[in-house]
Amino acid sequence: MYLKEKWSSKVNEMSKYSQVFKISLQDEFVYRLNFVLWRLRNVFSIFLVFFLWDSIFSVQDRVIFGYDRVKILTYIFALMFVKAIVFASKTMDVTGEIARGDLSNSLLKPLDYFKYWLTRDVASKTLNLSFALVETTLLFLILKPPFFLQNNLISILLFIVSLLIAVALYFLILFIVSSSAFWVPEMGWAIHFIITIVILEFLSGSLFPLDVLPKPIFSILSFTPFYYLIFFPIEVYLGKISGGEAVRGILISFVWVVILYLLMRSIWQKGLKVYQAYGR
Amino acid sequence: MKFPIKLLNIKTIVKRTGYYLKIWVLMSRNALLVVLSQRFMFIIFLLAKIIRYSFFISFLYFVVKGTNTIAGYDLNQVILIYLTFTFIDIASQFLYREVYRFRPLIISGDFDLVLVKPVSALFRVLMGGADIIDFVLIPPIIFAIWFIGAKMDPSFIQVILYVLLLANGLLIATGFYILVLSFGILTFEVDHTAMIFRDMASLGRLPIEVYRQPLRSFLTFLIPLGVMITLPSRVLMGIISPLSVVGSCALGIVFLYFSTKIWSFALTKYTSASS
Repeated sequence: MYLKEKWSSKVNEMSKYSQVFKISLQDEFVYRLNFVLWRLRNVFSIFLVFFLWDSIFSVQDRVIFGYDRVKILTYIFALMFVKAIVFASKTMDVTGEIARGDLSNSLLKPLDYFKYWLTRDVASKTLNLSFALVETTLLFLILKPPFFLQNNLISILLFIVSLLIAVALYFLILFIVSSSAFWVPEMGWAIHFIITIVILEFLSGSLFPLDVLPKPIFSILSFTPFYYLIFFPIEVYLGKISGGEAVRGILISFVWVVILYLLMRSIWQKGLKVYQAYGR
Repeated sequence: MKFPIKLLNIKTIVKRTGYYLKIWVLMSRNALLVVLSQRFMFIIFLLAKIIRYSFFISFLYFVVKGTNTIAGYDLNQVILIYLTFTFIDIASQFLYREVYRFRPLIISGDFDLVLVKPVSALFRVLMGGADIIDFVLIPPIIFAIWFIGAKMDPSFIQVILYVLLLANGLLIATGFYILVLSFGILTFEVDHTAMIFRDMASLGRLPIEVYRQPLRSFLTFLIPLGVMITLPSRVLMGIISPLSVVGSCALGIVFLYFSTKIWSFALTKYTSASS
């Protein structure tokens, strides 16, 4: 009887979040042109890095920074895919919810606030990923780059694990940064701009492979969570990081997930205590 | 009989220029006051921009250090092209920040209030709010251009032509922002089109020779990035013919003329919805 009730409540909860998922997906389609133009912007950002590396590796058999032509162009194409999974997120909007006082509405609903945003993120990632796959295929047909297809099952498995950890890391980072709106509501967007747009873009490897940087800087970066967002999963896919090194990386990134999770909970609890529902 | 009319026209033009300059100073002062009321935010955005530019320059530095050249350009030349791009980007952001506030005007129908004022509507929505953050960055960028440019040992004529082509690049950017505004009236979409233009323009951060055909031709003729950014830099490097300079300036003027015509057309399609 107890198990039946527990199962039924689990099903109810699942159905709640599946509704959130559906609504979020529909929400993305309200401003269709907006979405399509945003995707177009992603393609442009890939053009710059693709042609830069294409030009550098136009000389046959050239190996620079440990990459040959095939691996570097695969890195660029993998960027589209990995960025769509990791960086597609709605959690940045939490800042606005706090600043406008809309958080009060959300807190009154019978929903877990974190699960709610995680579900919205999953919807956003699903949509972005499907568009990224189409874009990648089209660009692949147009640009005809050489592509490295990983056939080692362990590397693929490690790549998937590292990707899931990257998603969790990004979600936690966004929530922590968004929490700043509890203390400085009008500054939320500015703080997001400097951390999640400027610093993360550069230090995550979404502009270029991080091993282009001098060794000391690269080594320091490998101990930060940024390293595990984009660069690490792609390197694992390419097989440049494999075996024990890949497992070690996954462990470090997992430790970061735990640290950021605890930090987020603590900041969130403190934030709720100072929250005054401005604008409500 | 013709001479006095021309004189009158010049007098009117000077008077109108003074009138618009006065309005621009007034609007910019208001925009400055808004920024100063949020000083901490101003510092964060300024810092973010400085970090972004520094990051990209260091990226170029490390790449060229490993590869020696990019598309045949050495480190100083690559950085000069990037700085030229940055100058045009920052200067146009400083002057035309108001473009990003155009969408609410169109959606709410408040653009009516702009149209009835005795000021050019285009001037108001294009230059109505200068961005002080970008203004602060202009002097250091000019200094950096001077510092890197001096290493190429340019002649006085080359420097003059560089400045002329820089102004021409700004003219083309102006044309693009006018097209974005026109597109805004026709489709209610401004922010992303402006950002798409900036994304396309950002391809100019690298020498145009990096891009493969037909993208290179597209960027040279349709989105004249080559004319806006690479060409001025090539003048300073001393690898360009005077004929190209004349052709580029002609292209800039024709492009601006064409964009104002599109703007006039878009105005006829404004429906004053929601007002």
